[in-house]
Amino acid sequence: MTSTTSAYDPAGTTSAYGSAGTTSPYNMTDTGSTYGMTGVASGTRAAPAFPGIAARAAQTDATGRIPAQNWKELADSGYLRLFHPPEIGGTGADGLTQADAMEALARACPGTYWAATVSALLCGKLISTYGDLRSHEPLLRSLLSGERLAAFAVVERTAGSDAGTYRTTVRRAGAPGGGFVINGEKSRITNAPIADVAVVLARRERLPGDDGPDWCLAFVDLHQPGIERYEIAHMGLRGMPWGGIVFTDAHIAEADVVPVPFGELAEGMAWGWLKNSLAAIAVAESALSASVRHARERVSFGRPLAHMEGVQAQLAESRAQIDAARLLARRAMCERVAGRSARDLIAMLKIYATEMGVEVAARAVQIHGATGVTQGHEVERLYRDAQMNVIGGFTSNRLREQVAESLGLGPAVYSAFDWVTPAGLGQDPAGLDGLPYAEEAVS
Amino acid sequence: MEIPHFPIGEWARELADRVVEPTVADRDRERRWNPRLFAELAEARPGPSLTGPLVPRDLGGAGLSATQTVALLAGLGEGARDPGLALAVGVHAVLATVPLRAFGSPWQRERYLPRMASGEWVGALSLQQTQGASMAPAVTARPAADGSGGWVLTGELDLVAGAPVAHHFLVVAAHDDGGRTAFVVDRATPRLRVGEAGPAAMPTCPWGRLVLGGCAVPDTAVLGTVAGAATEVEPLLAVLDWVFSSAPWLGLIRALTRDAIEGARERRLFGRPLHHDQSVRFTLADLAARCELAEGMLHRAAQQFDSGHRPSHQDAAAARLFVAAAVRTVTDAAARLSGPLGLTGDRLVGRAHRDGLFFAGTGGGTEVLRPVIAASLLELG
Ligand SMILES: Cc1cc2nc3c(=O)[nH]c(=O)nc-3n(C[C@H](O)[C@H](O)[C@H](O)COP(=O)(O)OP(=O)(O)OC[C@H]3O[C@@H](n4cnc5c(N)ncnc54)[C@H](O)[C@@H]3O)c2cc1C
Repeated sequence: MTSTTSAYDPAGTTSAYGSAGTTSPYNMTDTGSTYGMTGVASGTRAAPAFPGIAARAAQTDATGRIPAQNWKELADSGYLRLFHPPEIGGTGADGLTQADAMEALARACPGTYWAATVSALLCGKLISTYGDLRSHEPLLRSLLSGERLAAFAVVERTAGSDAGTYRTTVRRAGAPGGGFVINGEKSRITNAPIADVAVVLARRERLPGDDGPDWCLAFVDLHQPGIERYEIAHMGLRGMPWGGIVFTDAHIAEADVVPVPFGELAEGMAWGWLKNSLAAIAVAESALSASVRHARERVSFGRPLAHMEGVQAQLAESRAQIDAARLLARRAMCERVAGRSARDLIAMLKIYATEMGVEVAARAVQIHGATGVTQGHEVERLYRDAQMNVIGGFTSNRLREQVAESLGLGPAVYSAFDWVTPAGLGQDPAGLDGLPYAEEAVS
Repeated sequence: MEIPHFPIGEWARELADRVVEPTVADRDRERRWNPRLFAELAEARPGPSLTGPLVPRDLGGAGLSATQTVALLAGLGEGARDPGLALAVGVHAVLATVPLRAFGSPWQRERYLPRMASGEWVGALSLQQTQGASMAPAVTARPAADGSGGWVLTGELDLVAGAPVAHHFLVVAAHDDGGRTAFVVDRATPRLRVGEAGPAAMPTCPWGRLVLGGCAVPDTAVLGTVAGAATEVEPLLAVLDWVFSSAPWLGLIRALTRDAIEGARERRLFGRPLHHDQSVRFTLADLAARCELAEGMLHRAAQQFDSGHRPSHQDAAAARLFVAAAVRTVTDAAARLSGPLGLTGDRLVGRAHRDGLFFAGTGGGTEVLRPVIAASLLELG
């Protein structure tokens, strides 16, 4: 492996996750509309299209491990190829097909969905957008075939939202082989414990005369000395591998460091927001399905819960909210697949959809009563999963700041919180007889 | 951020902004309907008229699709900033028109639709009658006593949008056996009276009470099949109300959101601009999102009318439920951000706050919409 070409040449690939299928099972017809909902929908949506993965979802959560069979089914299904053009091994599905497939997989198993989609969609887009096809095509092909798994490492121990504090740095190796080395620690990263490669956002050490950007994306081979990883136990999406990576002079080939202006980060992350949104929608839909089932079966006061208006109201609100989120997700996905940024639309979607998911999951737990808080029950799992979507990949409030700025409200203004007392509102007032003179005199 | 508009909505927005908006505060204060405005909206060229968007071209209408009509009404709402007038236009151009188009006999279609499309004849109906028979029937229909055919209609209907200026009314009446029939009743019918009555909200809509004091109407006044309203006109009317009466509010919440953004830039609190306050910024971001979400819901429901299939009543009800909630969210937040001085009728936010509450109660309100949605989900009801 030379240090001037990508580390991801075809000769170096090994198959860790089974071989890839060639056709996609998601040949749904495009309705030609961004909303794509011309048909009549009734009841909850169709059952998951990944029956094996769905059947193992409870076990995946309980063990905190994605079974090998899931990876095989994923590769065979063609899911990993949907998001990319044929030139790099994809099947170039249209926006609605992509959205439907994402929702179907996330309904089957949100943890598996996260791991697979971070790699194939998010990292795939980052590499194809910012990388160079000549050197990175083999890497991309290996992600799309499922031979390799990727992680996107941005956040560090000390800070998530506040990127200004990130410290991981890439600098010239200086050693005979050339290339770069990376040092630092990325933490709370999806797929970190098992990924083969990480797309790392890092600072670039700039030598005199280099007026390129301060930041870069580095495609780092995680099977090398200088890499240590750890797992972090987490509340929801337990099957999803999650943890940290410590880089100590880990080596990166010349072609695998791509300088990027910091502003580009949000552009690439928007794929991740779509991923979170569809996960949230799927979790909510599963929670609603379970609620409808339970309401029809559970008898209370001599009749099924379904006959109680209070329960009906909760189900109806969930239905409307999920629909609203899904329609916006489909529109955003189509915009994006058509090559438009839609960054602010996707930010609004991520805020609404992920918070909606939490609300709908909480309602589902309520409708299930004690059953819903019993460990191992489907809605207990969904309730934990829903919360994860809100935080991952820019929190809601971080995104609200972005949307507010785009609305013309100017950039965020942070000032020390010191204006209440000067306005006369920071103290308890005098009583009915005015200020107690005696006390004043003593002090 | 660019707020996207369909071209047809843009056209309606500009027209309404020019023609309707300048007088809205006065008309609101005086609870006044101006027929000249209605005529201008009917005649505006170039472009489709606002009075006959859904009337087929061969009957003198604009022949727009349902999706285009939603965009048209949203543009009207946004430009006019007048919820009452937009409601009156929607009731005439959609709720009173489409049942005639869908179920009218050739004679009825040719008699009414061209004149409704031109704005010459205004069609009216009671908002009490757009939720099927969820409210107790207020009008009865008995066969004419002399056996010569025809029907006798008796009863009173409130909340009749367009009543004072209407040429005819769409009325659903119950028979003694519980069956219900839809009628088109001309205003000139003997024993028909329009009384003065209206809600405190939407004062720019011409309101009235329709009193049918034993009105004899011919068989040709029956719309659709005798005793067929429950499967013909009623479900259609419900879905039309849920979808198309919501459309102006899509434009209104866009206008309110924009106003709120401007207001936040102008107001100062604690010596700092209000828009530096993060909770204000976050609220505005959420309002912008509500507009996009509401648009998606209405667009889907409208598109189903254009698909050639039966539109889903569940999706229409969900759209209304969502839009009504979005209207409450946006008007509440916009009112809060405008401060206590902002809530006069001269400002959209004051009118919208009052009218939005009324809007949320129409179409059956949550007590009708939720069970309708739940019935589909649960396969019960
Ligand atoms: C399921 C999951 C998967 C993840 N996967 C990855 C991954 O693959 N790669 C990766 O790099 N990271 C990943 N993360 C980390 C994630 O990106 C961060 O957790 C997230 O960006 C927030 O950072 P933080 O946790 O440090 O919270 P903080 O930034 O400390 O925020 C704490 C709270 O303060 C609020 N806050 C912060 N800044 C502001 C502000 N300016 N204004 C108002 N409120 C503010 C936040 O909204 C939040 O409520 C993942 C997280 C989760 C939950």
